[in-house]
Amino acid sequence: MHPNDAELNEYADASVDASRRGEIERHLEACTSCRQVVAELREIARVAATLELRDPPVRSWTRLERAIKLDAATERLPQNSRNSRRTFDLRVQRALREMSVMGRLAAAAALVLATAVGVQMMRGSAARRPASAPAATATAPAPAPAAAAQSVEAELRQAEDHYEKAIQGLEQIANAEQSVFDPRTAATLQKNLAVIDQAISESRAALRTEPASEPAQQSLLENFKAKVALLQDTVALINEMRKGNEAGAARIVSGLKQKGD
Amino acid sequence: MTTADDAEIVARCRAGDADAFETLYRRHAARIYTLACRMAGSAEDGEDLLQEIFLQAYRKLGSFKGDAALGTWIYRLALNHCLDYVRSRRAKMSKLTETLDADTSFEPLAPRETPIARLDLERAIERLPDGAREAFVLHDVEGFDHKEAAALLGIAEGTSKSQVFKARAKLRVLLGKK
Repeated sequence: MHPNDAELNEYADASVDASRRGEIERHLEACTSCRQVVAELREIARVAATLELRDPPVRSWTRLERAIKLDAATERLPQNSRNSRRTFDLRVQRALREMSVMGRLAAAAALVLATAVGVQMMRGSAARRPASAPAATATAPAPAPAAAAQSVEAELRQAEDHYEKAIQGLEQIANAEQSVFDPRTAATLQKNLAVIDQAISESRAALRTEPASEPAQQSLLENFKAKVALLQDTVALINEMRKGNEAGAARIVSGLKQKGD
Repeated sequence: MTTADDAEIVARCRAGDADAFETLYRRHAARIYTLACRMAGSAEDGEDLLQEIFLQAYRKLGSFKGDAALGTWIYRLALNHCLDYVRSRRAKMSKLTETLDADTSFEPLAPRETPIARLDLERAIERLPDGAREAFVLHDVEGFDHKEAAALLGIAEGTSKSQVFKARAKLRVLLGKK
């Protein structure tokens, strides 16, 4: 009778009960499949113990250095401001985490869009090809257009959800910190946001009329991206103003004005 | 015990020497990043954790007493941070981690013709469900015994054993498909 799996696992670890060890050893001498299992388990454990270290990406130090500088600046603030600053940092961190998920999804959505467009173009050129010309991709059937369109719509919806979540997080931060802006900067920000919101509404309206329209899908994603970028600039501006870095704040405001012109 | 070199780096960091903290980071980042990637199961999360851990180390350096080597101190800090992260993620996604039972037996597989490559094992570890991956990384990769791994994970020793067993069974299947 074969030893059970847990016993084989413990035997491979040399931690099986002494009373069972002899019996298992005798069984292994006669049973090729159990011997193979033990050998594989030992190999997994051996290789696991010798895995190599991975180097972090080069940008990791730059990110950390920036975070440390921000942290050091926070430490110099009075206690009340420091607490509100920590809350602010946590909220920014949460929103940015959300955005990194969103970025990956948006990239996936863009890839699906590109694939779907490629498929449509291939289909178009196949339709234009003279009947006598051989099909280049006869062995690789293209996905059904309905399935591809559904996949695009699903990816788009997912990316849209994540954009909206990130936008919501950033908006909450920006709204809570509105008081740091002078009236002119606040007006510029409002104007830029209104332009983007209008563009988002138009893309949505176009998609309602024609849900499979690739330009409308692309334009909605682009407008979401623009809104996230503007809100990121807003948060960066709040950061610079709280640090008292007038030059840094002026650079961001000038960028905002150029975008709004 | 802390070395004279550790003590000097810590003193320079406490005095606000940014280069000293960079030296500390460069010395220990690979070990911490590797641990974070494996515990979290993805390089993206590992990178975020790396940043949070070193930021915490920077903030807590004042409390470093020198009872242990600086590397050990940072490693413990990192391990606790990674465990907090995986615990909180598990709380949010508990249902998704209980999908392993179908694979937890040692079915006969065709014998492998080549030894297991480290890269293949790294990729397969990423595909393990959270609970099994954490126990496997602590026990088989980081070298903790089941009692220590269980204490770190806040589970019973028997659960640590069964999670490692599940992980190995799953890895065997994943690596067998190569």
